[in-house]
Amino acid sequence: MWRRLARPFRALPKVPGDPFSARVLNAGLKSYVLPQDYTNISIPDRPKLKFMDKVPSVPKVRREFKNLRDIRGPSTEATEFTQGQYGILALGGGYLHWGHFEMMRLTINRHLDPKIMFAVWRIPAPYKPITRKSLGQRMGGGKGAINHYVTAVKCGRLILEVGGHCEFGEVEHFLTQVAKKLPFPAKAVSCQSLEEMRQAEEERRHKNQNPWTFERIITSNMLGIRKVLSPYDLTQKGRYWGKFFLKDRV
Amino acid sequence: MAAALGCRAPCRTGWLPTLQIVRHAKSVTRHWKAMHFERQKLMAVTEYIAPKPAVPEKCIAPRIKAVKEENGYAKLLRLQVAETFRDSKMIAVCQHNFTPSEEMLLMKHRLRKHNIHVKFFPNEIVRPYLSVSKYKNLLPLFVGYNLMLVSPEIKVKEMLRILKNMPQINLLGACIDNTILSNQGVINYSKLPTVEITQGQVVGTLSLMASQMCGLLQHSSVHLTALLDQYIKQQSGGAGEADGKAGEGQAELGPAKSSAGL
Repeated sequence: MWRRLARPFRALPKVPGDPFSARVLNAGLKSYVLPQDYTNISIPDRPKLKFMDKVPSVPKVRREFKNLRDIRGPSTEATEFTQGQYGILALGGGYLHWGHFEMMRLTINRHLDPKIMFAVWRIPAPYKPITRKSLGQRMGGGKGAINHYVTAVKCGRLILEVGGHCEFGEVEHFLTQVAKKLPFPAKAVSCQSLEEMRQAEEERRHKNQNPWTFERIITSNMLGIRKVLSPYDLTQKGRYWGKFFLKDRV
Repeated sequence: MAAALGCRAPCRTGWLPTLQIVRHAKSVTRHWKAMHFERQKLMAVTEYIAPKPAVPEKCIAPRIKAVKEENGYAKLLRLQVAETFRDSKMIAVCQHNFTPSEEMLLMKHRLRKHNIHVKFFPNEIVRPYLSVSKYKNLLPLFVGYNLMLVSPEIKVKEMLRILKNMPQINLLGACIDNTILSNQGVINYSKLPTVEITQGQVVGTLSLMASQMCGLLQHSSVHLTALLDQYIKQQSGGAGEADGKAGEGQAELGPAKSSAGL
């Protein structure tokens, strides 16, 4: 009897590809992972994304300048998480119009489980008027009428936040789906991954082996380079070019 | 002034239309705007250079890999396995097929009455323990799903009686009192009488042999004494008739009896 029992065991190491024997060997211990702690997270009364008005409640009468500065450089507001744990991060500047808002709202509300998750906007409703001349009109004759409104978004701004009793893996797919459709490069991030991203950036800056950094050259105005640079470069250190964010630079 | 003009003159001559500096350009555009050539050069010069380690990483990393921290649960199970094997005299290994939880509970309860405990340990935990312990020969039993019936006392009969009602649980083998037994061996073991009875039997057998030996050895001399006794009785009965005859008869009979006994 002992020999009969011992035989399958002896045969095991010889045929690792055999599914049956593999299953026999693997029958064993389950490692239980501690579930995430959601005790201090509460779901608000209205967990879904709110509808954003297409036009501000008090429409602007004055037609504004183009003012493209509002999408240039890094964002100073809405860069940190407030309520949620996951969000969409803008990796470039751009204008969001009402269509984008609707796309985000519908997609996210469709995927959201309102019992355990919630989502909040981190950007205001479209506020900046954009003018267009009517179709077929000859050029000249002054500025056109207000056509629609947009929201300016700078690089590094969180577009919206998602939170609740869920993990990043559960929300990542629809956040990525939304991020792909935005008019600027964007990415789904969690609180943790955003922190890691910033740390990696900092580490990269410290580990840079190039002694000639952008900052060093322009602060000492080597070869009169400031002639071709803008004052913005002093603060942005060559990491932004217009509305674009140059992610490979340090 | 002239000097200034003189300085500017070569610049003018070296001016190319392709190198002209466009002034008052919009600072931000909705598309990618080509950078100034000087700035392009600056960007190229100030690119990120990754650190190159002097010693390859392969050489820095120690060859001995760090021992992975074991799961707390696995540690606990390991301890429990060791404890079970140490404290129990009877360890029966059974194949465990699906059993409804109610039946399992009933069986556990019935076994518990006889101080037999049902233990479930994953093979991942049991196998490493067994391979280094004295129960190494039990290893072939631990393949697939199985359970152990352990008890600090030896209660084979009770265990077999309860297992008879559970066709899902097949006894594979057992280690009883440091003796490994097969399924049939366990059944045979259960049919044996208790130690006290066996000991009594052994003692009886041994004492029988001795008494028999003793009897056999004493037989001849006892026989002789019996004969002599009888002779004396006979002599004492006929003492009144003739004393001299008796003396002669005794002398004659003595050697004759001894030769017959030999």
